[in-house]
Amino acid sequence: MVDLGLLGLTMQHFIDNMVSIPLIQPLIDYLLGIPVIGFVVAIILWRPMFALLIFPGLATLMTVLLFIIWFERKLTARIQWRRGPLEVLRWAEGIIQALADGLRYFFQEVIVHRDAHRPYFLQFPILIFIPVLLPLLFIPVGNIVGIRTPYALPITVAIVSLIPVFIVAIGWASNSRFAYIGTVREAFMYFAYEIPFILAVVSMILVYGTADMVTIVEKQSIPGIILNPIAALVFFISTVMATSRLPFEIPEADQEIAFGPFVEYSGIMFGLVMTIAYEKMYILSLLMSVLFLGGGNGPTIPLLGDLSAVIWMFIKTMVVMVALSFLRSIYARIRLDQALRISWTAMLQISLLAVAIGVVLNLANVV
Amino acid sequence: MIKIKFPKLKTLDNVKLHLDALVVGAKEAIKPGTITIEYPRERRLLPDSFRGYVLFSPENCISCFQCSFVCPANAIGMKLAANNRYYPTIDYTKCIFCHFCVDSCPGAALRPTKVHDVVYKNMNEMITSTEEMVKPPKIVREDGYTVEYVIDGVKLILRRIKEKDNLIPEFKPHEKVKEYSACVMPESCLACGICVSSCPSEAINLSVKEKEKELKIDKERCTGCGICVKECPVQILSLVRE
Amino acid sequence: MTEKELLLDVPVQPPTELFLPIPKKFLEEAYQGDDYLVLVGPQHPGSGHMRIIVRIKGDIIVEAIPDPGYVHRSIEKLAENRLYIQNIPLLERPAIMDTGNLTLGYVRAIESALDIEIPERAKYIRTVLAELSRIGTHLYDAGILAVFMGHTTGFMWPFALREPIVEAITRMSGARITASFVIPGGIRRDVPWNVLEFIRKTTFVIERRLKSFEKIFIRNPTVIARLKGVGVLSKEDAIKFGVVGPFLRASGVEYDVRKVEPYEAYEMLNWDIPVSDDGDSYSRFLVRVEEIAQSISIIRQAVNELRAMPEGNVISEDILADYSNASSDIRGYFFKVFGNLILPQGEYTALTEASRGTLLYSIISDGESNVPYRVRAVTPGWYYLKGFMEALRGERVADLQAIYGSFGYFPPEADR
Repeated sequence: MVDLGLLGLTMQHFIDNMVSIPLIQPLIDYLLGIPVIGFVVAIILWRPMFALLIFPGLATLMTVLLFIIWFERKLTARIQWRRGPLEVLRWAEGIIQALADGLRYFFQEVIVHRDAHRPYFLQFPILIFIPVLLPLLFIPVGNIVGIRTPYALPITVAIVSLIPVFIVAIGWASNSRFAYIGTVREAFMYFAYEIPFILAVVSMILVYGTADMVTIVEKQSIPGIILNPIAALVFFISTVMATSRLPFEIPEADQEIAFGPFVEYSGIMFGLVMTIAYEKMYILSLLMSVLFLGGGNGPTIPLLGDLSAVIWMFIKTMVVMVALSFLRSIYARIRLDQALRISWTAMLQISLLAVAIGVVLNLANVV
Repeated sequence: MIKIKFPKLKTLDNVKLHLDALVVGAKEAIKPGTITIEYPRERRLLPDSFRGYVLFSPENCISCFQCSFVCPANAIGMKLAANNRYYPTIDYTKCIFCHFCVDSCPGAALRPTKVHDVVYKNMNEMITSTEEMVKPPKIVREDGYTVEYVIDGVKLILRRIKEKDNLIPEFKPHEKVKEYSACVMPESCLACGICVSSCPSEAINLSVKEKEKELKIDKERCTGCGICVKECPVQILSLVRE
Repeated sequence: MTEKELLLDVPVQPPTELFLPIPKKFLEEAYQGDDYLVLVGPQHPGSGHMRIIVRIKGDIIVEAIPDPGYVHRSIEKLAENRLYIQNIPLLERPAIMDTGNLTLGYVRAIESALDIEIPERAKYIRTVLAELSRIGTHLYDAGILAVFMGHTTGFMWPFALREPIVEAITRMSGARITASFVIPGGIRRDVPWNVLEFIRKTTFVIERRLKSFEKIFIRNPTVIARLKGVGVLSKEDAIKFGVVGPFLRASGVEYDVRKVEPYEAYEMLNWDIPVSDDGDSYSRFLVRVEEIAQSISIIRQAVNELRAMPEGNVISEDILADYSNASSDIRGYFFKVFGNLILPQGEYTALTEASRGTLLYSIISDGESNVPYRVRAVTPGWYYLKGFMEALRGERVADLQAIYGSFGYFPPEADR
């Protein structure tokens, strides 16, 4: 047994808090017996590390990114009487199209134009992964959670709210007129969705009486969407606005300002900034499934142990993401002033109504 | 006069319109009305009258130059062949596929095909010589299916047949009217001999004996191309029928 | 890090001054005030290359100056050097899909010069072709309008719906878009009944699929929000600025050349003019949607009439003269019949209702040469350009695309 005496950590420390999967338990036991590999397996299967690396963390994030980009194109194509991506891996309907695009981006030249602020221009697309990946630590899946804290929900919302700041910074560093207009539009949209979004979250905190996401999931014998459907609607619309999807694809409007803040990027840097919206969509979908769809709750499959919660959570998240992708082929882009009007009148009103429902449910102590 | 009706826009109507749009989208996602034809693998069934690559059969050509005259894009040139006759060549950099030439050809020597996807390596290759026009161009056929648009009631169906489409359709030549050149006013003839030298089928014979000139046009040989009619400086030749 | 600028030895000097087709005074005035000048284009801002110089105050357009001519192909001048018959493929090229109407105008001008009556069957087939082109163009414009507003389904569906129409035109004439089918005295060849039947069935497909399209795009709340009350042209303004076609009818003027000076078979068929009073972008769009329904009805009636008629004889005897055996198919006699076409001396004008509005052709002939002395072609795009610019006044910059799309402005057609 490897002893990390210096850090006061022993392998037993990880094994005590390990994800249990009865189906492959013999394999895990065998691997744990091998000196170095055993230690690595123990760390990976350690619950906080599992949350960070496997689900909902890095591995799933990457898979979802590759899948949802392909799926969105395929679904849109299907609705539009086309075939969509097909030629890359033809027998599987071109499922690795996003990977192929990523490879192409990787080998393309990254052009930094003369007027750009070079350090920031190159830094921000990478730095933006901090607010994108941090919320994953706080999102619980059954009993797998990176950091369990009573303030998980406020922290997550706060970190998610940082993403537009980075996009504005990207637009500023690009120093181009399209990027500038896109940045201003992004800032406006940020004002538009932020308050209804926070109010929807607050109303759910009121409903459950706690901001600890693990407790919230445990309390949802009735899913939140039935308890407070209005909050769910506001949250969903705010998600559409926050991820700048149609009909609120205003900051990126490619017909008007050619991808707005990201207009100057090329090569792998464009690949990185293009996926930001999808990553944000993934996090907000996770949050939505935790708050409104009961997170990892669902019939337990004994053989899979802790993984059954993972599977339920994954399915719920994907349903939300598919619903978001579906909107792309239904709506036209509305104007910025119209989006602001919608959010500051109708959305604000119904989000206040959602808060009122939350207060009533809190006082009635329903959950 | 029809007055346009605008949709009502009260809150409830608005919700209904949103739902309508979403439901239509969902329906299409489940049962799409895809109309894509995956072109290199399958080919659309084109009508026989399709205006594509033009084939040429020299045995029917009477060297009348009409295709070259009518071409709106000036794509047809006439080249002198070994048998001392002029045959058309098509410059596909210029051709607009109006097929005025095909419709003009009195001997039905030009015929349309359904070939529309020939690849050339450079611009010079696109000037097709007469020899190349005789046989169909070389194209790569990757298609296993032929797709036809069939309409059943209100449904547009793409019927896929597992066989290759014949790109060289059968050609029905039009009913030809036998015309030949004749001298309508022999007394005005200058005996300049331009018609003799211009005739592509050597049908005109001019004999000058002192003051007597005789223009003989061989009816068997004359194809009725009308070049001598155009060339005659005193315009005494004309196309006549039997 | 030191940056080195590389100098390439290119013999061409880039222009040092930015050329703008507007007075310097206007520029200075705009820059001294609070206004901005925004150049929209010329890199294909919409359906073709053109530039709109927009003077904006904040987010509101104060003035819009068009800078057309980037796709000018001097079609009128080219037409002076070609035989009358060779101009047909040339003059159908300004607009995609509008082949039926654009050639019909020119051919009718020639027919009025030669004073020939065309066979009944040809009249109906020409009407069918013209209406197919009209549906195709309106669908094309709807697609462009949709993509301007980011509605990708609204872009793909009309283009897919256009495909059966293109197929019908292919089966009629042999070419997908440039039919060159209408010739002086009739049409190139008779259309067999199975093709006519296909055209009739096509109208049902289009009607059925348009119903879905209506739900997802035409009556989509976001589309209504973008178009309603935007770019309003009042009835007086529309008449004053010489707007034509569906855009004039959207402002409440009941004017259609097909009704005012009926040509071809329009008099014999039962149809109506759709009119709207609002004059905004949405009504301009809806009028064209209703026109598609009217065109469908015209095609069905025309095909029904054609079914009762005997086949053959689609080219007038007057123009065929000796070659009357070609009356059902011009093949073999095309040059013999039309190669030496000479119009009598004079000026001949024909007004046609093309898809986007009134189309004027005026041919001047000197009476002895086989090429026209002058061909004047005024396309609808050119007529309503002024109205389009006036409609932009006082709207938001983001609405420019919506108004552009609602006019279906097509630079290649306007520039010719």
